[in-house]
Amino acid sequence: MPTDRVRISRRGWFLVVAVIIALLPFVIQDSYWRTNLIVCAINIMLAIGLDLLVMKLGVPFWMAFVFGMVLSGAAGMALSIFAVRLRGHYLAIASLGFAVIVHQVLLNWISLTQGPLGIYAIKPPPDIALPGLPVISFGNTANMFYLVASFAFLFYLLLDQLVRSPIGETLKAIREDEISASAFGINCTAWKVFAFGIGSAVAGAAGAFYASFVGTLVPDAFIITESFTILAMVIVGGMGTLIGPVWGAILLTILPELLRGFGDLRLILYGAALTLVVLFMPGGIAQAAQMFRARLGRLATATDAGMRQ
Amino acid sequence: MLTVVLQQGINGIVFGSLYVLVALGLTLIYGVLVQINFAHADVVTIGAFAAYFFTFAFGGNYLISIGIALMAGAALGWLVNAAIFAPLRERGNELLPLIATIGVSILLQNAMLLWFGPIPYAFDSPYSNKVIRLWGGTFITLQNLIIVVVSALTIALLYAFMKFTFMGKALRAVSQDRETAGLMGVNPNQLIMLTFVIASALAGMGGAMLGPILVLTPFAGTTVIVKAFAIVIIGGFGNVEGTIIAGLVVGLIESYTTQFVNPGLTDIVVFTLLLLMLALRPTGLIAEKREENV
Repeated sequence: MPTDRVRISRRGWFLVVAVIIALLPFVIQDSYWRTNLIVCAINIMLAIGLDLLVMKLGVPFWMAFVFGMVLSGAAGMALSIFAVRLRGHYLAIASLGFAVIVHQVLLNWISLTQGPLGIYAIKPPPDIALPGLPVISFGNTANMFYLVASFAFLFYLLLDQLVRSPIGETLKAIREDEISASAFGINCTAWKVFAFGIGSAVAGAAGAFYASFVGTLVPDAFIITESFTILAMVIVGGMGTLIGPVWGAILLTILPELLRGFGDLRLILYGAALTLVVLFMPGGIAQAAQMFRARLGRLATATDAGMRQ
Repeated sequence: MLTVVLQQGINGIVFGSLYVLVALGLTLIYGVLVQINFAHADVVTIGAFAAYFFTFAFGGNYLISIGIALMAGAALGWLVNAAIFAPLRERGNELLPLIATIGVSILLQNAMLLWFGPIPYAFDSPYSNKVIRLWGGTFITLQNLIIVVVSALTIALLYAFMKFTFMGKALRAVSQDRETAGLMGVNPNQLIMLTFVIASALAGMGGAMLGPILVLTPFAGTTVIVKAFAIVIIGGFGNVEGTIIAGLVVGLIESYTTQFVNPGLTDIVVFTLLLLMLALRPTGLIAEKREENV
């Protein structure tokens, strides 16, 4: 395979992982969007920690994948003890604290994680041998790309269905007004726990793919600033829409790559771009696209106009 | 044994008072704006570098360099408010300024990385080697004594300013109710600007004093700011007294964990305390009427 294609597909892979990661906050965001995004982003670190545990035990990949999702989901539910009681910046800082603890545990639990050295040579998912077809190996970046891309698409569809279903309506009701929602007999606490569980389970899936693609797990790869980059994807893409985070993830994953030509100035420009988007495009790409469509004379439908501000 | 306990107590108070300086800035900004400023970490770093270059490149006095760092911080605080918080203030979305300041933080850290390089700077204060013997075999370096005295004086001045001057009272009024304070003839925009300048000046001077203790790289401020967030929560967001107590408590917990448990576990202990506080007493050490946030 020409090296050029390999490079492109690797970039594409990162992009799709970013898409998955960016989709995670959505379900949670819907239940009460402000800060749960952060919680979810930070859950990824936790998810990876748990995946690491599973991987280390030598369980086959797909089993580890399912375990990772279930364990992450359970941990997300555990974290929702705080979510049920706290709001606003308090919840953001609580999740920040949780992230620091997970990071430190990973760093210090040397017998499990080898501390700052990290774990190496994690195997890609096993080959798939379907009768009558050539063996599909995931050691190949292009195949890995298609695998993760299809999962990203699958999760997108599932979340999209969830949001449109009565469950999605329930979560929206809680987001809009908790007191009214409970007056209608909705158990807000249970649904919040549910939302956290779903979001974290998807994060667990992303963690499993991350580990098997990169092949190494180093605790420092999941520092807090990385989690905030994921939150930034959601903001830049546009909150309150399902497609917004996808655009944000694509843009913020590609942008540093495009800026690579600028050498050392790359991340300076990235920081500046992020700041400028927030200052001048607060509704994100989704809202900008919507305004563009409206300007073309096509009326945006009520569902498209899901922006809150 | 008693000597060790006392000695670690002194060390804890030294670190604690620096944490208080940094955390007070965050809590002041939160009190007035209900916003989190992520670029606060870089104000600390820039303060440390300003002091370093003043002391070593220009041969200046270390004590004066603390003042230089204070001014550098104040200038940066003014800039962050004018460029980010003022334009985003009326948008009503609390996440936007947070993300914008993350962008600013990425920008500043990488600009510093470009100028100063990734290799840690050896910021040796001329006072680090002078040791003052205290009771029972304990000691304190002159540098650490400077840290405690300067921090205590600054905190006392700030407290007096908040409590007794017109501007300080106006500032507290704005943090209680911006609209009403505006109707009483207080200019909220001016006061928010003042808050940023004061908060960042504290962070800058904190940086100048942290410089000799930390590993001075463009990312030095981040490690401090994460603890400062914990302190702000433990003390109760926007609560000045609570922040002071929490900062000292965290400093003490850190130094005792390092001594008696395991230096690698300090952050785990501090942040477990944070989560416990949030679960059991989310209003902070000193309860305040801010129920809408919890």
